[in-house]
Amino acid sequence: MDEDDVLTTLKILIIGESGVGKSSLLLRFTDDTFDPEQSATIGVDFKVKTLSVDGNTAKLAIWDTAGQERFRTLTPSYYRGAQGVILVYDVSNQTSFQQLDQWLNELDTYSTKGDIVKMLIGNKIDKDKREVTRDQGLRFARKHTMLFIECSAKTKDGVQCAFEELVEKIIQTPGLWENDTKSRGVSLVGGKAGAAGQGCSGYCSVI
Amino acid sequence: MRIAPSCDMDTRMADDVEESEVFEITDFTTASEWERFIARLEQIIHDWKLTTYVKGPPLKKGEFSTGEWEEQAESINFATVCFTVTEYHLKQTAVVEGSTQEENEDSLPQAMEDMLLMENDFPPRAHCICRWYGLRHFVVLTPVANSDAVLSESKINLLLSSMAIAVNNTNCLLPIFAQIQQKWRRMYTGICEAPGARTTFDMVHLKRTPHQYGHMEGLINIFKSKIATPISPLPQVKASIRFTYVLHDWTQYAWSLQPPDLDSPLGDEVGYPGFKALPFGAVEDPINELHLSATWPSQAENTIVDNDVYSDLDASQAPQWSVRLRLTEKPQCLLGEYLSAFAELVHNRDSTDQLLGKPAFDDMDDETSEQISQALQRLTDPGRVHLPTLSSVVSRARTRIRSRQKQVEAPISIDTLNELLWHLFPDAANQDESSESCDESEKDDQTEPINVQPEVKEWYRHFKSGPEDGLTYKLAVAMCVVNHSHGGLKAVAHLWQEFVLEMRYRWENVFLIPGLASGNPNMGCCLLHQKLQMLNCCIARKKAREERQASQTESEDMTSRTPGSSDQNIASENQETGSATDDATGSITPFASANQLLGDDPASNEKPRSVSKVSLREGQSVKSDSDSEEEFFECDEDSFPGSPSKNKADLDSSEMEVEEVHFQVGSEALETDRRVAISEANNETRSQKPSGRLRPCGDLKLLNKDELLYIPVTQDPAPMTEDMLEEHAEVLAQLGTTSEGAELRAKMQSACLLSDMQAFKAANPGCELEDFVRWYSPRDWIEDEEEEEDEVEVMEEQEDEEGRAREEGGAREGGASRRRIKGCLSQRMMLPGNTWQEVWSQSKAVTAHLQKRLFDDTKEAEKVLHFLASLRPGEVVLHLLPLIIHAALRRLEEADVEEVPSLQPHFPGLVSKASRVTRAPTQDIRKYEELVKQISLIEEVIARSLSLKAKFLPPKSETETPRHTGALQQFVCDLMDKPEVPVIGAGRGPVGEAIHQLFGAAQRAAHMLPEVEADLQDSPGKVKYSHTHSSVPDFPRPAGREFIFRTVAPRPAPYSQPTPQRMYCVLVDEEFRLAGAFSQDTTFQ
Repeated sequence: MDEDDVLTTLKILIIGESGVGKSSLLLRFTDDTFDPEQSATIGVDFKVKTLSVDGNTAKLAIWDTAGQERFRTLTPSYYRGAQGVILVYDVSNQTSFQQLDQWLNELDTYSTKGDIVKMLIGNKIDKDKREVTRDQGLRFARKHTMLFIECSAKTKDGVQCAFEELVEKIIQTPGLWENDTKSRGVSLVGGKAGAAGQGCSGYCSVI
Repeated sequence: MRIAPSCDMDTRMADDVEESEVFEITDFTTASEWERFIARLEQIIHDWKLTTYVKGPPLKKGEFSTGEWEEQAESINFATVCFTVTEYHLKQTAVVEGSTQEENEDSLPQAMEDMLLMENDFPPRAHCICRWYGLRHFVVLTPVANSDAVLSESKINLLLSSMAIAVNNTNCLLPIFAQIQQKWRRMYTGICEAPGARTTFDMVHLKRTPHQYGHMEGLINIFKSKIATPISPLPQVKASIRFTYVLHDWTQYAWSLQPPDLDSPLGDEVGYPGFKALPFGAVEDPINELHLSATWPSQAENTIVDNDVYSDLDASQAPQWSVRLRLTEKPQCLLGEYLSAFAELVHNRDSTDQLLGKPAFDDMDDETSEQISQALQRLTDPGRVHLPTLSSVVSRARTRIRSRQKQVEAPISIDTLNELLWHLFPDAANQDESSESCDESEKDDQTEPINVQPEVKEWYRHFKSGPEDGLTYKLAVAMCVVNHSHGGLKAVAHLWQEFVLEMRYRWENVFLIPGLASGNPNMGCCLLHQKLQMLNCCIARKKAREERQASQTESEDMTSRTPGSSDQNIASENQETGSATDDATGSITPFASANQLLGDDPASNEKPRSVSKVSLREGQSVKSDSDSEEEFFECDEDSFPGSPSKNKADLDSSEMEVEEVHFQVGSEALETDRRVAISEANNETRSQKPSGRLRPCGDLKLLNKDELLYIPVTQDPAPMTEDMLEEHAEVLAQLGTTSEGAELRAKMQSACLLSDMQAFKAANPGCELEDFVRWYSPRDWIEDEEEEEDEVEVMEEQEDEEGRAREEGGAREGGASRRRIKGCLSQRMMLPGNTWQEVWSQSKAVTAHLQKRLFDDTKEAEKVLHFLASLRPGEVVLHLLPLIIHAALRRLEEADVEEVPSLQPHFPGLVSKASRVTRAPTQDIRKYEELVKQISLIEEVIARSLSLKAKFLPPKSETETPRHTGALQQFVCDLMDKPEVPVIGAGRGPVGEAIHQLFGAAQRAAHMLPEVEADLQDSPGKVKYSHTHSSVPDFPRPAGREFIFRTVAPRPAPYSQPTPQRMYCVLVDEEFRLAGAFSQDTTFQ
């Protein structure tokens, strides 16, 4: 991919309880492989991928975090500057779903961008034993204004789509990624100032 | 007069007319300048599509000033003179096609119709041509350079005829004007051509009003004579009249009624309360004048008498009133002034030394060398680490300040500086009064409340600054004030230098910095705040360490004197050895992190004390062993071959064997009742082996041993500021995305894992990786479910039990059932050679306090101090800008920005914009300057609103009914955001009355000495307008009088079609202007 074509570099964060398949999702997305023996992440891991959505090419720097409680004291620092966050739970594990609130809390506390795009992913839909219904996930996502998708890193279902959707959403959110060149500032005098300034402005001429 | 086009023009135009089949050479090579000018003008008219001009919808009332005007411009040359052609066009909502089509040939062009419309007389804000002639669409030709003004009569005529040719040739119905004479005179002449009719626009402009035309009667005479219609009687003339009165003397509401806060920073001569808050408000009245316009719309000429001797036109009787404000140009506003002066400093690139000169620098050298020698002294004398009392620290700090100041003439005076420092570091000031009583723990409390912020509005949540009224916030405000009022950049440099010295002082003397949110650097705050928090973390850790050492040496002394005699002694020893009992409350070892240590409640140690007494005596040798280990804490593990960690590990491995023996004994003993023996045995092992326990991990027990699983005391992960984090992330990211990279990354980050594993092993002798995983990553432990019930029972049993013996028994029984629990690690944890297993196999049992430090506070503190010291004052200011912007916005809020309706949408917008700017990855001074500008604007608007309120809504107005107040409030609001506000009820409404009073008061004040008549003699043309009661009229002489006369009359012959005629007159002190638009029939003449 030509460097010039890259519209922007986006920082994306993957969070969620340990063992819900965050690293597997990432691996599926970046390398299109699945490793049943994916080792548990220590601290944070990092991958890069360029992705084109609607003709816009974005370079994604994806930070994969460890879900373990003890590592969490470390990871919040990586929330900084992220434009998108993927919150993962395991559809075959109720607890991982129940913990979502806590993760959102953490996100709220540590993310530096107010309008960060959040995506909820229910992973491992290939498993027979489902403990969280699609509807539950949907409702949670709606309640917290997130994107929602269910997928499986193992069978590849929905993974690519999830990342594309997230990136598209980020690109569509003004002020989230651009270099702020267009200032959406306030003008106190109002739009008429230009026109009136050119002509003679009203009564200063009379008196 | 009609101007015939030249023959060249004719041939040119012939292209598309009848003679197209005749072959003929058209020669433009000889075209004159004049012809080229006309051609170009026609081309512009065609380009702008002004020939296919359609009528717009009827004008709405006031549309001239409220609507949006569109302009487009082109340049054009006449010989060497450059003109600009500009089209002005009122943007109106889309025209309905049907209505425009029905225009018939005979109807007059829109311009001529508009001249007669009454709805938009006297627009408060419009192009002067629009105001004079009531036009909504016109073209103006203006010479570009002032020197090119069209002055001579012949040139004017030439220009006018060129325009006439152009519009005739193009059939353009728009009026077209040319600016003539000097630009400042704003003289225009123009023409509007229509089929069968033409309007000429002409103007008279004089400096003085001729005596005979100083009233309506005289002006109507001019109008009639200009029309010179042959028919009589003349059609009736309608007049619209507006008189404008100026109020600039606000008498009792003079600007002494400033916002109250203005007085404090300037007026208060003692002290500098200004350090605490940013000033606010305008120093001069932001409202200069009030213009009251009394309007008589569309009166028949004979209903009003206005001549030399008498006038009907009394302002108080006028049917319409409207008010405009004349604002002070750029009033001096304090907040904006302070902020922009402060932001200005960012551009300065001088260093502190350059600014303050050498002496200050030398002095700092002395200071540091002294500190170094002190530090060396302390190193060589490790036995006696002495903690300076707070009072001594403070007094030293103060003498330091004073002595430093004597030599140099510092930008900030000593008194001011001391006051500033006390303001920034209130703990030092408090200390001054109650020197010894306040101990360290109390001091910690002082820093606490910063965390409990007053409920901050949601929109400040993402503001990357610092806690309000925190140290950095205060520093920013103080810096800003110091810059403005106490010596500018030098003073800023000075204060910063003092601040950095104070920071170093606090670090070296282990003295927490107040006014910072405690805990690790908060990435939601600005970098400077994070750096200071980092420093505070370092200080806290250093303090914890030194306290530990102090208590250690102390207790050592005491043990040697009276071993195990006093309770206090035992307690300290208990802590020291870290031989925690398995009591459920869990005792906290001395090597817990500082926070945990501070939270330690001595009462919780009450129970285990009796037990540990026994164990201590038994394990005396172990204790002394660990004591000796403590001394090596600071040393690097690897550099000592026989390092304590190794000893400890050896010890642990032997312990594990012992433990296993006990374990077997225990299981055999289960059948028979030998509880006492077992518990004794357990006591023994416990007292020796496990260390660094924090608390049990729920009710979990070790898998192959009948012991509760303990969470160890662990090292806190190293705090990081955002720049460190960025660096760290950069390093991690640079490892690339290969699997080797990932592995390396995992290794780099496994220090924390290793440390935790070591601590875990130390706290849980005989544990396995499975045990560790059950605490650390519970989801990687897969357990068979059917055993759960047993476990729960055991747990309940334990909780109920109080007696130690019984608990032991219970644990035994639990252990019996526990053994049957099946479980295994998750697949990923069992992978051979995965990092977890690798690290586990490498890790030895080492309690947290014996481990290599994950966080080197000395190094980090020095880094922070270096960072602070190396900032140029300009950079310091840039670092403080987020805070000062935050403070300024808060200041605006305090000034009731929300009560100004016109700012309603802007202020939250500004806040969110500001918060975006503060969060930008690179701080851009230009964006901050933009913010400062907008803050100043808002301040100006607020000041204006305050001024208006003071004038129209005086605080004590008992006489006014709520309805009146409501009306006045609405009026004040309208004045804020509309160019002109109509007064409901004119002079008789509540607002009108208030205005009337204002004028009356001003008049009385103005006429204390001179008589009314004196005025009149100055300007003979002026008529004395009616007084109401006293000899002094309530209204002054009108500053401006405007008349618009309109009629429809046939010109030039009696049988001509009647066409619109209009004349606008304005009479002000220095100007007399008549702008006439007279139409005539061009068919029947």
